[in-house]
Amino acid sequence: MSHNPPFRRLLIANRGEIAVRIARGLREMGIESVAVHSDIDARCAHVLAADHAMALGGNTAAESYLDIGKILAAAKKSGAEAIHPGYGFLSENAAFARAVRDAGLVFVGPTPEAMERLGGKKAAREEAIAAGVPVIPGTEQDLGDAGLIEVAKKIGMPVMVKASAGGGGRGMRLVEREQDLAEALQAGRREAKASFGDDRMILERAVFPARHIEIQLIGDKHGHVVSLHERECSVQRRHQKVLEEAPSAVVDEALRKRMGDAAVSLAKRVGYDNAGTAEFLLDPQGNFYFLEVNTRLQVEHPVTELVTGVDLVHLQVHVAAGGKLEQLLAGKDLRPRGHSIEARICAESPETGYIPAAGLLRLVREAEGPGIRVDSGVYTGWDVPPFYDSMLAKLIVWAPDRATACARLSQALRDTAYLGIPTNVDFLRRIVDDTAFRSARLRTDMLKLRPELAEGPKEPPEDLALAAAVLCQAMAKQPSASSGAASGVAAGSVAAWQDLQGFRVFGGAS
Amino acid sequence: MKTSTEYVRDGKPVAVSAERIDGDRWRVRVGDRIYEYRAQALGDGGVRLAPVGEEFDRSFVAYGAAAGKEFMVRVNGRTHTLAKPAGRKGGGGGAADGTVRAPMTGTVLDVLCKVGDVVAADQTLVVVSAMKMEHKLIAGVAGVVQSVAAKKGGTVEQGAVLAVVEPAKSDAAKS
Repeated sequence: MSHNPPFRRLLIANRGEIAVRIARGLREMGIESVAVHSDIDARCAHVLAADHAMALGGNTAAESYLDIGKILAAAKKSGAEAIHPGYGFLSENAAFARAVRDAGLVFVGPTPEAMERLGGKKAAREEAIAAGVPVIPGTEQDLGDAGLIEVAKKIGMPVMVKASAGGGGRGMRLVEREQDLAEALQAGRREAKASFGDDRMILERAVFPARHIEIQLIGDKHGHVVSLHERECSVQRRHQKVLEEAPSAVVDEALRKRMGDAAVSLAKRVGYDNAGTAEFLLDPQGNFYFLEVNTRLQVEHPVTELVTGVDLVHLQVHVAAGGKLEQLLAGKDLRPRGHSIEARICAESPETGYIPAAGLLRLVREAEGPGIRVDSGVYTGWDVPPFYDSMLAKLIVWAPDRATACARLSQALRDTAYLGIPTNVDFLRRIVDDTAFRSARLRTDMLKLRPELAEGPKEPPEDLALAAAVLCQAMAKQPSASSGAASGVAAGSVAAWQDLQGFRVFGGAS
Repeated sequence: MKTSTEYVRDGKPVAVSAERIDGDRWRVRVGDRIYEYRAQALGDGGVRLAPVGEEFDRSFVAYGAAAGKEFMVRVNGRTHTLAKPAGRKGGGGGAADGTVRAPMTGTVLDVLCKVGDVVAADQTLVVVSAMKMEHKLIAGVAGVVQSVAAKKGGTVEQGAVLAVVEPAKSDAAKS
């Protein structure tokens, strides 16, 4: 795609898996990467993946990854010419995008003007209405708690309350009874304040049963916007995505075109460039309603990459430098090919109310094999800090068809181990193996309706599990004969394993 | 060399031990059942185990690691977190003894009780934010708030005691 790298050095204003993924993409383009990190993240995977690292100091997001002054200072000091914000943190902050531009640097994302027109849910909704894109009935502005409750009475329960500045489900709640509105608004405001520094809330009618369908867009600085088609992210827990896939099993060629055209017309209206995602709800009758635009790269972008064959990070960097999509995408067939599914691996315990966990990952074993991609931000020995998001890695599969992709994801999850802290790996596999998921009968509230998927099996562990546990403990204790291997490999264990693929065996000297 | 331990299964302690017979053959006791396995350590912390004596030899690859006071093992596509009988309960709100603990390291968003308050079992006493999630910590028992250690805006360590409720003694006070 590229001949000369569009930048010499680029700073990644993010952490964890997305910063690793961007650093890799930059290296492929011949661009040096600069990682930034908080104190506790000094050995985080993204620091190890980058060419340079700059300490921001502090530990909380507010004193590190959200501190615009510190990030700009790091960019200046490192000689970076551009900043990629990743997702979350400052990625949708127009003031940050403006500050980057004012500092004479390139922001890898849309202009602050376009972000302002689409960033807040209220603004985005008004733009969507003006662009002729269907929206859900509700209010576009924070009318105060009393005013919002009035609107809810008018449009009817149930309603969805959301952070005006939001994204990622923070501050978002489904409220079914009028009497619960006040408390939901207050809790939403607190979460919104903590996540975005902006406690404004909006409210709209809840459409359900609904499927979550979103359109990936990429635009350049020359007025071109291209749809890279839909992703379906209907499997959600508490408004956070759990599994995402492309294409959607229920979006046909005609609907794909209608939704893509709607998203493109909205983006063109505001002069949008770089990567963005227009999110919609799809009802059982095939009506779609605009939700919001995420003015950044999404967590789930890999499924689009795998079915369209484009590299979104490469494209983002090229268009930020003024590249033309006509040239960047010349000769490419962008029609979705095969099927891709992503599973978000999080340090949380679905079995006990999705409570997030932090702590030492004593053993990490990530899946590998044909059609398997792991975008990870952790490794064995990494101590997951309590200050940030609980997502550890993303497991993404590709296969020629959806049924094979499901089977492949199930198998890959079986091969996955993150031990030392609770994770949702078993939960993900229960969903993927469930008949409703296999037959693509998806809806955004499916996990709420099927609590047993989160709770897990009730049977106590079988003897095999206890035997395996004590054998693991016994073997870890064994002195290794002469190798000094930390895990204490038993003498004589090599022969049985020499012809098995996929396992590295060492330290078996007798 | 023999490794002996106890795990809790279905609420009851089960004695478990592993003893090498010779080479890669191990005798494993789970409660009153005795098994024989061929087991080999892999280089990456995993163990391959195959039950001996079964006509058709099935084999498994298990990965195990300590997780705090528990032991996590992943085998046959499932993760089991096995507690030791002596292991005390981890942090978390709603303990039946009326001690409200921080479920994990985080920030106290709100303290909704004070010493002397009469509270119901499902009443929220403290709101803690950790990893961008809000956790409402409930009393767990009906009673009277005896002490409140949580301060609004303060940082708390996982397992820290945030409030203590003296359980109500009379049946009438139960919610």
